[in-house]
Amino acid sequence: MDQYASALLAFPPQNEPADNETYHKAAMLHIQRISKMIKERPKDLVAFSAELINVIDPAVNSLSYLAILHALIFPSLAAKVPQNFILEKLTTFLMVFDGRQCRYGGFPLLDVLDAVGNGRLLPPSVAVECLATAILKLDPSGTILTSSHILLAKLAYDTDNIEPALPVIEKDIVYYPGMANYHDAQYPCDLELPPPLYISKTSGLTTLLKNTMVLEYDLLCGMMYCARREWWKARKAFERVVTFPTKDTGCSKIMVDAFKKWILVSLLSEGRHCNTPPPYTSESTLKMFGILCRAYISFATAFATDDVEQLKLEVQNNAQLWVEDGNIGLIEEVMASYQKWRVLSLQDIYTKISIAEIRAQTKSAETGAVLNKDEDVEALVQNMIIAGMLNGVIEKNDDGTKFLLFLSPTTHLSEEEMAREIRAHTVRLRGLKDIFTATSQRLGTSKEYIKWVIKDSKRDKTSDGQDLTLTFETQIDDEDLMGGIPNH
Amino acid sequence: MDSGLLPFFTAMENQGNVIVKGLPACPFSTNHSTDLSSLPDAPNFDLELYISNYKGRTRFDRLLHIGQCSVPLCVDALKAAVVEAKKGKDTQRYRDAWEHLRLAGPNEPEAQFDEAWVNNTGRSNRALTHQLEAELKGYKNNLVKESIRIGHRDLGEHLEAIGNLNGSAEAYVKMRPDASTVSHVIEISKHMTGILLQKRDWAGILTNVNKLTPSNMTADEINAEQPHQKMVCGLAYLGSEKYAEAAKCFLETGDPNICQRYNDVASSNDIATYGGLLALASMERDELQARVLDNSSFRTFLELEPHIRKAVSMFVNCRYSACLEILERYRSDYLLDIYLQKHVHKIFSLIRKKCIVQYLVPFSCVTLDSMNAVFAKPDESLEAELISMMKSGALKARINTIDKLLVMASSEPRAVMQAKALKTVMDYEEETLERIRRMSLVAADLEVKGQGRKGLGGAGGIGGLPGLGDILRDDITSESNLSVEGMS
Repeated sequence: MDQYASALLAFPPQNEPADNETYHKAAMLHIQRISKMIKERPKDLVAFSAELINVIDPAVNSLSYLAILHALIFPSLAAKVPQNFILEKLTTFLMVFDGRQCRYGGFPLLDVLDAVGNGRLLPPSVAVECLATAILKLDPSGTILTSSHILLAKLAYDTDNIEPALPVIEKDIVYYPGMANYHDAQYPCDLELPPPLYISKTSGLTTLLKNTMVLEYDLLCGMMYCARREWWKARKAFERVVTFPTKDTGCSKIMVDAFKKWILVSLLSEGRHCNTPPPYTSESTLKMFGILCRAYISFATAFATDDVEQLKLEVQNNAQLWVEDGNIGLIEEVMASYQKWRVLSLQDIYTKISIAEIRAQTKSAETGAVLNKDEDVEALVQNMIIAGMLNGVIEKNDDGTKFLLFLSPTTHLSEEEMAREIRAHTVRLRGLKDIFTATSQRLGTSKEYIKWVIKDSKRDKTSDGQDLTLTFETQIDDEDLMGGIPNH
Repeated sequence: MDSGLLPFFTAMENQGNVIVKGLPACPFSTNHSTDLSSLPDAPNFDLELYISNYKGRTRFDRLLHIGQCSVPLCVDALKAAVVEAKKGKDTQRYRDAWEHLRLAGPNEPEAQFDEAWVNNTGRSNRALTHQLEAELKGYKNNLVKESIRIGHRDLGEHLEAIGNLNGSAEAYVKMRPDASTVSHVIEISKHMTGILLQKRDWAGILTNVNKLTPSNMTADEINAEQPHQKMVCGLAYLGSEKYAEAAKCFLETGDPNICQRYNDVASSNDIATYGGLLALASMERDELQARVLDNSSFRTFLELEPHIRKAVSMFVNCRYSACLEILERYRSDYLLDIYLQKHVHKIFSLIRKKCIVQYLVPFSCVTLDSMNAVFAKPDESLEAELISMMKSGALKARINTIDKLLVMASSEPRAVMQAKALKTVMDYEEETLERIRRMSLVAADLEVKGQGRKGLGGAGGIGGLPGLGDILRDDITSESNLSVEGMS
């Protein structure tokens, strides 16, 4: 056992941090040694695992720890060791492992993450948190979508453990596994690397994805935001699905579903639905949306008017459809918010308006009538002010009539506030630079691009005087040029 | 209203005609002062004087139009229309006028149907048509270009006179191959626009109107032809609701003496009215001053219609209520004009809105009472109109219903600038990420693909919209059941 222990503790080297090359070599050697060990005497490892695992620090000797865990969990949970003990260690490992080291973790790590993501080993709330932490440890920027992301999203949404998944969900995804012209880096341990160079199918840290999985991930993100009532973020997520790149007039049912939700969430976040998604949505897809989501579009159109009867009619006529699409919850939300948006629209017309007038002018979409008492309106307006939806105050006149005072929507910032905002944005833009460089490097070194550059430079050379039809014109040009320059 | 007239006007109203109940003021005689014409019972719209301003087929159209619309002038106008129709050769017109008169005034001597006249005229018309056609055939056999042209023209003019507009248009078109001089071409175009004007084909006129002034004309010729061209063009723009363009055309009409020659289209009085009203509806104050009041050629027109000049100068001098009052007094006259009638309401409301906006320019805050005093009819509030103007974005102001004020929206360029700057940064960030994301998706070959290319050999067309089956082929049964039940 001591022999095992010394082998397992051999990596990483204790002395001062090594450069990438040394680290890489050491890691490879270590992996070789452990795999050999596991292959030769797998039973011993399990037998001593309890003692070994207590000796090894998951945060320092992550690879070794992973190897033992893997041996304990796969192919099935080891019978000799208490299950709780294994799961406790698993949890600890996922929470604290060293991200740099585990870039060498490969398929054993993916196995562990998959098992956790499938929800078989740990209770969902723990699983979601562990998985989210592990994903961000491997890729702190969170910019590449992996198979673990998809498991995480499904698990979190299905078991309603959204909160712990948020740190992962909220990251902007810009890379996907299997992108052309990304090859695994020479030294995956290099901390400067963009994530697609060490998280890939070949490095074993993710599997390849299908486009339906990517679409589903964004759809699930949107629905999680819906559950948290963060309409604006939900809208952005659905928008990613709606604008998904398509080829040869393709369209996916997930995109259509997302478009429906996108419309409803737009209503909730902005009070109206702008008819067209961003310009890069393909035209054939737009046509398809127009045909398949007609009921939603006319509902959205009715929402932006004062005609409450029409809105109610739209809802009633399509009652069955909402249920079939699973959007009844959103529709109810939208209907509940109708009056608020009507009140808000009054700010384009009034600066001060009495509560009684608001009551007379806005109707509730749920009943289709005005509210019964001024107090109800007052409560509604108060809620809107508290929620930050409405920028205004309720005041009382000398004669006792209460009125709503709309405050100016554009409050201008002081010089310092403005500077702070700008600074914050600058930092964010600087953050984009990494992604930008990685992408431009990828595109700049792609085979097609290099071929094109070579061809282009050749064409430049050949066109000098060889094309007979051009020579005459160039001569004329020369003469003209010379004629224009005075002789010094 | 005369009891006999009531059913007649009910029928007219059902046909969608505008009914003018009041007596028109006298717009067509410069001798009458406005004070006199404002008296409601002074019957000083002189139908004979009015109709004597015109010649040609438009006389009948105008008489019939007045007969259909004006309650006090109905019977007189219809009687005149019957007489007018019998002067001509168009039996259908006689029938139309007689139909109307039969309903409106069955006891009038003109209400007796003159069958003998109809039969005789019909017979002689047919004979003349045959004769002209035979002559034309003869000319064609002789191959004399000028005779053929004249033959077509005579036939066209005859067909126009008997009311066969399509036939006459055809005949006029056939003149073109034999037209040898500029004046011939202009003559054809005049005939054509005349027909199109009677058919109310505004788009047709606008495409043909350039042919009225071919490019190789001398300055004198242009001066002589311009009034007609501008008049027709202006009417076409008016008909297609392009008021600004129409106003420009009327203002550039040119010499009133030449204009008088074309009173089969419109009279000089009409030009003054159209030009003035449309300019009021579409131009700003300084433009009105420069292009209407200081326009030497248009001034002669305005002398014919002093009230229009007065209204324009009132507007320029910021006496908006006086301006509106003058126009309102003449509203019923404008409603009797065949070309203007449909647009009176729109033009008036445009002028009124402009008055309101202009009135508010120097103020930051106006009491609603003072607004009502200036613009509203007695016992009516302006609020609804103001609200509709604010909603359409024509007026940038807010109402304060508590203090009964209209507050101008103050623009804060600083806040606007700040918001714009921050928005630009955010949009940039968002767009960069999104574009890189899309590039990555394409690089990873994750686009949703249609079946366009695969279906090359199949029945489906290439590049067409995929059918429902294509969309539904995603194997995502699990997602379609997803719903937002998570929300609570």
